[in-house]
Amino acid sequence: MAAQPKEIAGQRPSYLAEGGLVGWLTTIDHKRVAVLYGLSSLFFLFVGGFEALLVRTQLAVPNNHLLSADTYNQMFTMHGTTMIFMVIMPLEIGFFANFLIPLMIGARDVAFPRINALSFWVFIFGALFMNAGWLWHALPDAGWFGYANLTERYYSPGMNIDLWDIGLLILGVSTLLSGLNFFVTIVNMRCPGMTFMRMPMFMWAMLVTTVLILLAFPALTVGLIFLFLDRFIGTHFYVAALGATPILWQHLFWIFGHPEVYIMALPAFGIISEILPVFSRKPLFGYAGMAYALVLIAFLSYGVWGHHMFSTGMGPVADATFSITSMLIAVPTGIKIFSWIATVWGGKLRMTTAMYFALAFILEFTIGGLSGVMHASPPIDLQQTDSYFIVAHFHYVLFGGMMFAILGAFFYWWPKITGRLLDEKLGRWQFWLTVIGFNGTFFPMHFLGVLGMPRRIYTYPAGMGWTFWNSFETACAYLLGVAFLIFLVNLVRSLRSEQAVGDDPWDARTLEWSVGSPPPAHNFDDIVTVRGRDAFWLMKYGSHDAPGHDSSAGARASAAHAEAGHAHVHLPAPSWYPLLFAAGLLVMGVGAMTWLRVVFLGAGLLLVSIVGMGFEYATYGQETEESRATFFRGVDSRKMGMWAFLGSECVFFACLISTYMVYKARNLGGPDAAVLDIPLTSFSTFVLLTSSLLMVLALAAIQRGDRKWSAIWLFGTAGFGLVFLGGQVYEFSKLYLVEHLAMQDNLFGQTFYTLVGTHGTHVAIGVVWLFVMAFAALKGKLQQSRSLAVEIAGLYWHFVDIVWIVIFTLVYLMRSIKEA
Amino acid sequence: MNRRFGARWLLWCALLLFSGATEAAARSYPMDTMAPRSDLAELIQSVYVQVTLWDLLVLVVVIVALFLAIFWFSTRFGEPGEEPVQFHSHMGLEVAWTAGPILILVLITVPTVRAVFNTQPYHWPKEALTVRVIAHQWWWEFRYPSLGAQTANEVHIPADRMIHFELESADVIHSFWMPALGGKRDVVPGQINQITLVAKVPGEYYGQCAEFCGASHANMRFRVFVDTAEGFQRWVADQLKPPVMPASGLASEGARIYQNAPCAICHRVKGISGFSKQYEGGFRGPDLTHFAGRSTLAAGVLDNTPDNLATWIQDPQTVKPGALMPRLGLKGHELTALVAYLESLK
Repeated sequence: MAAQPKEIAGQRPSYLAEGGLVGWLTTIDHKRVAVLYGLSSLFFLFVGGFEALLVRTQLAVPNNHLLSADTYNQMFTMHGTTMIFMVIMPLEIGFFANFLIPLMIGARDVAFPRINALSFWVFIFGALFMNAGWLWHALPDAGWFGYANLTERYYSPGMNIDLWDIGLLILGVSTLLSGLNFFVTIVNMRCPGMTFMRMPMFMWAMLVTTVLILLAFPALTVGLIFLFLDRFIGTHFYVAALGATPILWQHLFWIFGHPEVYIMALPAFGIISEILPVFSRKPLFGYAGMAYALVLIAFLSYGVWGHHMFSTGMGPVADATFSITSMLIAVPTGIKIFSWIATVWGGKLRMTTAMYFALAFILEFTIGGLSGVMHASPPIDLQQTDSYFIVAHFHYVLFGGMMFAILGAFFYWWPKITGRLLDEKLGRWQFWLTVIGFNGTFFPMHFLGVLGMPRRIYTYPAGMGWTFWNSFETACAYLLGVAFLIFLVNLVRSLRSEQAVGDDPWDARTLEWSVGSPPPAHNFDDIVTVRGRDAFWLMKYGSHDAPGHDSSAGARASAAHAEAGHAHVHLPAPSWYPLLFAAGLLVMGVGAMTWLRVVFLGAGLLLVSIVGMGFEYATYGQETEESRATFFRGVDSRKMGMWAFLGSECVFFACLISTYMVYKARNLGGPDAAVLDIPLTSFSTFVLLTSSLLMVLALAAIQRGDRKWSAIWLFGTAGFGLVFLGGQVYEFSKLYLVEHLAMQDNLFGQTFYTLVGTHGTHVAIGVVWLFVMAFAALKGKLQQSRSLAVEIAGLYWHFVDIVWIVIFTLVYLMRSIKEA
Repeated sequence: MNRRFGARWLLWCALLLFSGATEAAARSYPMDTMAPRSDLAELIQSVYVQVTLWDLLVLVVVIVALFLAIFWFSTRFGEPGEEPVQFHSHMGLEVAWTAGPILILVLITVPTVRAVFNTQPYHWPKEALTVRVIAHQWWWEFRYPSLGAQTANEVHIPADRMIHFELESADVIHSFWMPALGGKRDVVPGQINQITLVAKVPGEYYGQCAEFCGASHANMRFRVFVDTAEGFQRWVADQLKPPVMPASGLASEGARIYQNAPCAICHRVKGISGFSKQYEGGFRGPDLTHFAGRSTLAAGVLDNTPDNLATWIQDPQTVKPGALMPRLGLKGHELTALVAYLESLK
């Protein structure tokens, strides 16, 4: 645990060179973490595929009772949940992006290697937690978007939905941390010369994706927390009683859920934008337009969630608005599709399997996009939604789009990752079987939808005209299964083959191909300097107009490593804490479903690992020579990370606050905001705001090296925070004991306690943090060089105070405005 | 190798498609969304056809461009010839493929928005017939507040008269969908949604719950009978009549069993059992007053025959997993008598 950073001089062993179980369990190398992600999500790919085949087998003939209704419902729910959260996202983000981001931008690792490993362990434990339902025949069974109020305890009494709810919360932590990590990496760790407009398009896609993750996942988290409270404490967030409405879940879920579609789609767009140019031997067409299109798609994706809810009766105005915004997304998507075609146009095509998949992607994804335009129109949607037409649509997007891109990416980057080529002949078999199996399975679903077959039915009667296409689809689905088995064989065979591949088998254009295959643990021997787009192509050929393929390996190597310097590379030491942290989260999840004490055990583990990681990070809060050299983008990565986290928190609180506002207006009976004690809260607000001032003084003190005063001001800030918390404890006790307002009592109670309580928790975490810092200052551990630590804590503290200003205004000062 | 195999596959697919098409010609499609029988469904279809045509146009453009790019305007790696020109942007092209789709979208948006506002009126004409639909896990209750009639799982409406469906849920979210008569609308607990339409062609239409609502979501079907004005009058008059009380024989024995068995706790036969409590928005089980007048049972899952009814009563969980109806343990003569009674409730 206390291993020292390794010194690597000269030689370049592959990142896979050092074996050993412990090495893999404690690794924080982004490439190894990526491999762990890849292996686990490949496993889940086959689990999800197995579930899909069970579903298809059940539907092969009418009145089939191979699976019980219950089992079928579990299978389709887990198929969706698995493919989205445990296959597509982790393959794109956890595997490919994780492996490639540092290599493509010329960095040695991601910004926060420990958090990266932590993301993986949290992910795998979350996924296993949810899949634990296999053991008790209690897998989640309410569909991947688990519409309330079916998910309430009354209608779903089993542990199925508990596993889903807690499992998704855990997976959300993992995704959010990955998003934060990669965002900071791409913004901060680009090598010299790698401006935003010179980044590979995959990096643009990932940058936008990470922003989407940061701003979308909090909505899901809030929705899941409400569901948790409903199921475990007996609140009524989604019950159609006391004025609450189950539609709230749909809003929260789709505010997350639609950006989620692009969280899966944009990396695929990025992958395609890498594969096509390489195998066409031409630069990506319309680079700037492609980048702007990504940003525009991401921006629009926040304003379209309502198109999942046209049938819920939102009224014509909302329907029309969401319809128009949804259709607008077709414009940037169209730009992308035409630009891809223009990239291929006039190229010298190298028809590898990767290229086949990329080209097929364009067509399949276009079909999915066009059917999307259909149900962006509410009248059409009313016929198509929840029918097999929708199933066809999103499989054309998710499989024809994302999965084709992923398969292309496997064939393209596999040699870089493993040092072995995938077999092209098997690849071609796989490709054609996939194309035939995929289109045969999913295209007829359009017909079934038009013929009125609803989705999620475990059986259907004969005589509906659905039988033929269903049998046909099932046959094709098995073909698809065969294609994936061939893929598996191909992967295994390539790993066992002895034939090593060169560094740059495709004559590619981006930096990852300039290093070894597989790359050395530290990626780049020297810091690379980039002089334009398609950086490696430029290094090889000097200009975008390739003069031919006369460049020798030696010339490439010397070009890639032209920059001198940095003989010694610091690699962060492996760590057990990420694994421990994830275990803590898992134990908490298990505890929530069994005994409360276990939750505390898990929380203990969590705390130990956070503290452990804090102490392990020798440079925490310190601006060392190394950090100055690496983090040359101006803002320190840790500060940038905090900013990103706070951005995400904004959405989190926005969801809580909007729920409060909506439910306050719908509150029926019982105490409402009128019972709030304004004078008391005004006082504690004053105290909290004053503490922000003390925080500023603390930072100023540490920056000028005044340890004594910085300790005093830090204690002051924490103390004022404590006073605020005391006020809140008093307020809550009074509400509970005097006004008899419990969380379960009415809409005001549950939303008030949840919102203000969540803020209180944030304050409490801040107070603990500040006390730790203050004691460190007292002990003399907080030197001037570590002022960054105080600055980051300060950012958090100011943010919490600002949130309080909003809460104080909306909850307390505007309490009398009923219809706010 | 690949080309030969591709051709064989293509042939296979063509054959299958052909057999599918012949099947299609021979069969009927009770849930077809493309056979509109109401003003609402017709409007939806007209928008659908317009958008589909635009979509097809775009698809053809993309396919042609893609295939030209792959097979015509490009060379293959390894063939002799120059390296490709490294062009990477063209303002005119990019503007064109931004502006083109925008134009198409405008053309799609106009009929869309118009249809949105036309199909969701804020007011209904006074003469519209209100049908209250109450969705239950997993069956449908239909009430006619202005007529005082109620039924379950088979709704009758008159043709050529505006019908105003008010949708209400007794438990979770369902979705009320009659493909031939128009799009679906979710049935959300705690809120009343509406569908208004004028059915144009008398006939029997299928419907089904379209929002996943638990174990037996697949078994939550219903029928819509669009009657002529007179036919509907007759049906309503029949519904308002008290149930037949069998005087003697098996059926009268069945009536006694019905009253003594727990049936009457959840199901109502008007005038005979009054137990059935109002349960949130409706009854716990379907109204059986004119049960024998319905063509299906268990929410459109089985045809209404004595044998099917006996199967259903004996073991509801097999027919409809998760259904609230318990297994009563009736068998033999008792069961026959009960079935005889229920089938006498015309």
